[in-house]
Amino acid sequence: MTVTVLGVRHHGPGSARAVRAALTELAPDAVLIEGPPEADAVASFALDPSMQPPVALLVHATADPGLAAFYPFASFSPEWIALRHGLAAGVPVRFIDLPATHGLALLQEEREGRDEPRDGGTPGADTTDEDVADSGPAGPTVDEPTAGLRRTDPIALLAEAAGHDDPERWWDDAVEHGTDGALDLFAAISQAMAELRRDAPEPDALEVQREAAMRRAIRRAEKDGYDRIAVVCGAWHAPVLERDTFPPASQDDARLKGLPKVRTTATWVPWTHDRLSISSGYGAGVDSPGWYHHLFEAPDAPVVRWLQRTAALLRGEGLDASPASVVEATRLAEALGHVRSRPLPGLSELRDASLAVLCHGNPLPLRLIDRRLVVGEVLGTVPDDTPMVPLSQDLAALQRSLRLPAEASVRHRELDLRKDLDLRRSHLLHRLVLLGIPWGVRVDAQGATTGTFKEPWQLEWQPEFAVRLIEASRYGATVEAAATQFALERGRAEEHLGHLAASVEACLLAALPDAVAALMRLVADRAATDGDLGELMDALEPLAGIGRYGSVRRDDTAAVEAVVDGLAVRVCLGLAGAAGGLDDEAAAEMVGRIDAVDRAFALPALEPRRAAWRDALDAVAIRTDVRGTIAGRATRLLLDARVIEAAEARRRLSLELSRVADADRGAAWIEGFLSGTGLVLLHDPDLLGVIDQWLTSVPAERFNDLLPVLRRAFARFPHGELRQIGAAIKAVAAPTGARAATPGTTPATLDLPRAEAALATTLELLG
Amino acid sequence: MTSTPAVLRAHAEHQFADELERLAASDDRPRPTGWRLSPWAVVTYLMGDAEGITPKYVGRRRLMEVAVATLATDRALLLLGVPGTAKTWVGEHLAAAISGDSTLLVQGTSGIAEEAIRYGWDYARLLAHGPSREALVASPVMRAMDEGRLVRIEELTRIPSDVQDALITVLSEKTLPIPELADEVQARRGFNVIATANDRDKGVNELSSALRRRFNTVVLPLPDTPEEEVAIVLQRVAQLGTALDLPADVDVTGEIRRVVAIFRELRSGVTEDGRTKVKSPSGSLSTAEAISVTINGLTLATHFGSGPLTAADIAAGLTGAVVRDPVADRAVWREYLETVVKERRDWQDLYRACRDLD
Repeated sequence: MTVTVLGVRHHGPGSARAVRAALTELAPDAVLIEGPPEADAVASFALDPSMQPPVALLVHATADPGLAAFYPFASFSPEWIALRHGLAAGVPVRFIDLPATHGLALLQEEREGRDEPRDGGTPGADTTDEDVADSGPAGPTVDEPTAGLRRTDPIALLAEAAGHDDPERWWDDAVEHGTDGALDLFAAISQAMAELRRDAPEPDALEVQREAAMRRAIRRAEKDGYDRIAVVCGAWHAPVLERDTFPPASQDDARLKGLPKVRTTATWVPWTHDRLSISSGYGAGVDSPGWYHHLFEAPDAPVVRWLQRTAALLRGEGLDASPASVVEATRLAEALGHVRSRPLPGLSELRDASLAVLCHGNPLPLRLIDRRLVVGEVLGTVPDDTPMVPLSQDLAALQRSLRLPAEASVRHRELDLRKDLDLRRSHLLHRLVLLGIPWGVRVDAQGATTGTFKEPWQLEWQPEFAVRLIEASRYGATVEAAATQFALERGRAEEHLGHLAASVEACLLAALPDAVAALMRLVADRAATDGDLGELMDALEPLAGIGRYGSVRRDDTAAVEAVVDGLAVRVCLGLAGAAGGLDDEAAAEMVGRIDAVDRAFALPALEPRRAAWRDALDAVAIRTDVRGTIAGRATRLLLDARVIEAAEARRRLSLELSRVADADRGAAWIEGFLSGTGLVLLHDPDLLGVIDQWLTSVPAERFNDLLPVLRRAFARFPHGELRQIGAAIKAVAAPTGARAATPGTTPATLDLPRAEAALATTLELLG
Repeated sequence: MTSTPAVLRAHAEHQFADELERLAASDDRPRPTGWRLSPWAVVTYLMGDAEGITPKYVGRRRLMEVAVATLATDRALLLLGVPGTAKTWVGEHLAAAISGDSTLLVQGTSGIAEEAIRYGWDYARLLAHGPSREALVASPVMRAMDEGRLVRIEELTRIPSDVQDALITVLSEKTLPIPELADEVQARRGFNVIATANDRDKGVNELSSALRRRFNTVVLPLPDTPEEEVAIVLQRVAQLGTALDLPADVDVTGEIRRVVAIFRELRSGVTEDGRTKVKSPSGSLSTAEAISVTINGLTLATHFGSGPLTAADIAAGLTGAVVRDPVADRAVWREYLETVVKERRDWQDLYRACRDLD
């Protein structure tokens, strides 16, 4: 009876090749792999032809899917090779790490009070390794990072000691070219690790428990009568899993006693190379999954093939990269290897050579190479019959029927909502966004609204969406049901009427009629009892807007219209009361709301109530006990709507700015009147006329007092607009300037020379 | 061997002759044909080591390795960077270490003619004896080819495009045809070209893609950290100071730190604590300029001052380096003085000195 321990580098292609050779030589009758035993149930899927790495084992708490641990595998992961080798040979494969049930339970205890879901569990899994992650701001000491590296990648430490920055090339140089057989190699690694462990700090509690669990599993396999047992584990653990170093079984049992537990479920999820990289926060990750994949898969001449792929990538991006330059890059990489005393060029030589030859020293294409090749954008697949929550199954079915496959790279798609298929795609994406799965992100051009037929999206599938799906599965078994339920629950908890109205809009976009109806009832109830007019005003625009594109999206909006009408009545009645007695800040907010409500009343749905709104506005505009900004704004809206004449607006303007009036209020009035209307001054000669006329009639001595006030109002316009306004005034100043005069004045009364002098000053004022 | 005292600036191969000799003696690695040292030893010469080889280039070792490896593959080397990032300096030392000779040099200017790259004629001889190899005046490029050495071409992008194109044959065929004599010069092994170009004056005479393809490009960056930059300035100031007979015992570190800090802040547009934004002037404010400001200050202190290097000695050079454009840069500099320098308590002497100049 023998136990052979194969200590590997997680996600190391060299280790993977060695494991394959060792297992072939050994022909074990049981294969034990470092990994959660919960995965035994789904291990057999690894042989399925439609299982394409990178994939990850997902173990989550059955009751709380957010409590989850991932164990990623790439095609070049030694554990993956061992798993497939064992399954193909028809021998039992067992995962022997500390069961995830304990790790997750411990994490749950630790997480008390922490909201944000975090990947958790054990090292080797995609967890945030505390040692590595937390050694940041305190100032990096020499010891700490290596302490983390020791556990996750001790072979990199050996390579570093030998002066290599790429552990895989070191493995190739030092290990593969220098030993007789894979089994000797693993014996040597175990010895080296024993040396490394000798002067390492005491292992933490979790590490002790994990190693005890692995030893217990090895003992059990022996008891089950297996003869030639192969154990594949991280190199760091290899020395303590050698059979002759085992402590008494009772000692290990004592270490594992009384650990907390949660119920768990295990499954496979697709993974990406990006999420395998160490920069994604994966503790046991590697720097360059794409490069490792290349090293593992390239049949021969990895250097030339790599540079060829680099050149092809650059050519695809329209950059110059001829075969001749591939030759030169190869020669430079090899020469660099010599200068750096390395038998073969590694990734750093290839990057340097690509930069100097293929990119002509420009670092931008190099970044592209790093992203697309060194890390890679590969997304794995799992078989359709992998155990999935019903929600994930529903999504998979929808992805197939809507021909919208999940892809790891960023893709743009413009949906045409007049087409049935695109409309249903749009519904699906909107529903997922509601569920907190932003697979698609809307990338509307600025100012575009939902009233158009086109809906541009940017799609990028993230592996963690698989978990969010499982989390969301408690809301329902289909995407539609889950989104409806989710929207309802959120709506009931929502306190702000404006936000509630916004979620109605989101539900309409996602075509969730049940949710829309229920949310509208909520809106109606809340509107009836809510005393705060501000919230009603906030709610009005999104709700009124819904009717506008109902026909495009074929949504039923009748229920909405009734509620909107009720809201509109309340807003008109309440405006006078809400506009008074505000401080500057609240007044600014009110101006924004009045603008929004006015936009809403411009929509056809509110046509019958428009007159009432304008009456309410007029009442506010002439009151002297509301803030100047509000009165000015109201006057302006009335002017825009042609409810009042330009002459009347001019009268009100000069009334506000008369000598005895408070200058601050005057400034606020102008500010409200002009807010953001630099362009309107250009497009509307009447409006320019009002200001122009008023300015020319201001006495000279008063003008100086008004100057700072006016500056403040104008200073907010963009510079270009100011210049154009200046040009327009020049045009007005020409004899045809009489055109700008309002009906109330006749051109004959204009004192042209005097007006010109005033206009010159205006020009200066406007910059 | 040390340089003759009368020479203002000794060639690298003379100034560092003993280091080169020592490296050659201990260098047991294979040397490419025509090379005085192995590539590995060349990198050591540039980067320095613990056994007394002084660092010539302070910065990333990677870059020097790429540069040396490029020359070893017989591809031409293009050193690119903003002014004052030691392009010429690196080129000179590469030539000194590899060929033992850094004097084969073509200085690129806008008025340069093809003869400077190919060959000219000694017209007296040409008229007297007709065309012959004796009547030929070889350019540095031709001599380098003939002798199997490195030739340096400075400011490649300042050379007119049609003259640049004369290099294409040299680089791709490694021959220089002489149609007048129905002859050619073939490059011997060891020949190569080191060109420098400045990427701030881009567009002067942009390299054609045909030429660019024949170069491997190494971009020399501005120093990564203030410590590195201070070290570079200290080292160069000491070397130059000796050549100019400036006293070596004056403590300059404090002022160099300030100059480097000011240059870095103005270059990056933000103060070193990352809290305040500052405007950047039009000049490049490179390390080379920091060196010249310090040397300038040292000279002032030695000949007109009381001896030690003070803020007043630095101020004039500093103002001159920052204010390149008399209007825009002056505003930038004043703003920097008022908002940053004035606020630093231990910089008051510098603030007053700079204000006095205004």
